[in-house]
Amino acid sequence: MDNNIDFKGLWKQQVVNSPNIEELLAKLKHFKKTSLRRLILTNAMLIATCVLILLIWYYYQPQFLSTKIGIVLNVAIMAIYLLVYNRLFDAYKELDNTDSNAAYLQKLIAIKTKQKFLQSKMLSIYFVVLGLGTCLYMYEYASMMSFLWGFFVYAVLLFWMGFVWFYLRPRQIVKENSKIDTLIDTFQRINNQLEADV
Amino acid sequence: MEFENIYKTYWDRIFRLCMGFVNDYDIAQDLAQETFIIVWQKLDTFRNESGIGTWIFRIASNNCLRQIEKEKRFLKSELPLHITEEKQYSIEPQIQFLYKCIAELPETERIIISLELEDVKQAEIAKIVGLSEANVRVKIHRIKDKLTQKFKENGQ
Repeated sequence: MDNNIDFKGLWKQQVVNSPNIEELLAKLKHFKKTSLRRLILTNAMLIATCVLILLIWYYYQPQFLSTKIGIVLNVAIMAIYLLVYNRLFDAYKELDNTDSNAAYLQKLIAIKTKQKFLQSKMLSIYFVVLGLGTCLYMYEYASMMSFLWGFFVYAVLLFWMGFVWFYLRPRQIVKENSKIDTLIDTFQRINNQLEADV
Repeated sequence: MEFENIYKTYWDRIFRLCMGFVNDYDIAQDLAQETFIIVWQKLDTFRNESGIGTWIFRIASNNCLRQIEKEKRFLKSELPLHITEEKQYSIEPQIQFLYKCIAELPETERIIISLELEDVKQAEIAKIVGLSEANVRVKIHRIKDKLTQKFKENGQ
């Protein structure tokens, strides 16, 4: 085939605007600050939640063991949830941008697959433990109420949990998974471009 | 190598690579900026095992691939750099057509042909993409055929 079109010449004629270096450096500084702020915020929220729950423990002095177990379960599952997500975040950090495209794509696919697994499993575990913890925690206070009120409180609680479990949770999982599936498919397709024999 | 020097030497080349990938001036500008943010973050981990060019092009091309993830929720640059002559880039139709054709190729081919047009050696392209050199050579040949074909069909 006639190959006399000067692609290189055309390619290099593209107009390029180089932003000036000071602006880029300013942006770099800003970038550093925001990622640090995000990290601080996440951890501050975790600590604040734990402190709040422990304060409740301290001020109200629960008598029943069930209340204490409930508190511990709730704090623990929140901590575990955040820990798992932080680890996923670490996985992204380990993703080496200086790898070859082929290696990079494979790692990206592996991370996305792991993320999909974690999201569905963790979300279910999170709801089960949080529900259990809350039921245990409430028992002491419900037992102080009249039977009717106690019954009512638990009915509302269980109704809410059922709603979350049977309606919100599956919807959330489907939504998250379909997003990830599309991405995994796309990365897989690109990866196949590299594997296809020439 | 100093970050500033790298920036001066590579900005145009990285920008064109990104432009070949997305064929959208603003997104390409964002992608090039992101690339330099990563370069800046990682510069002290750079060991001279590979040339700095290979290293930077790997970062840039991986960032382009990663961009697919953001595509749907892509917002225009959060912090737009002030480009003075904003709409000055109405370039020759032939150049526009070339970039359009390249951006329509499969993703990895976009990267390979952009690097080839940037005069990156085929051995280096092989290292950047993660293919064998022979493989790269064949691919470049085929891509050029495809582009020639498109140019002819379009009467350019």
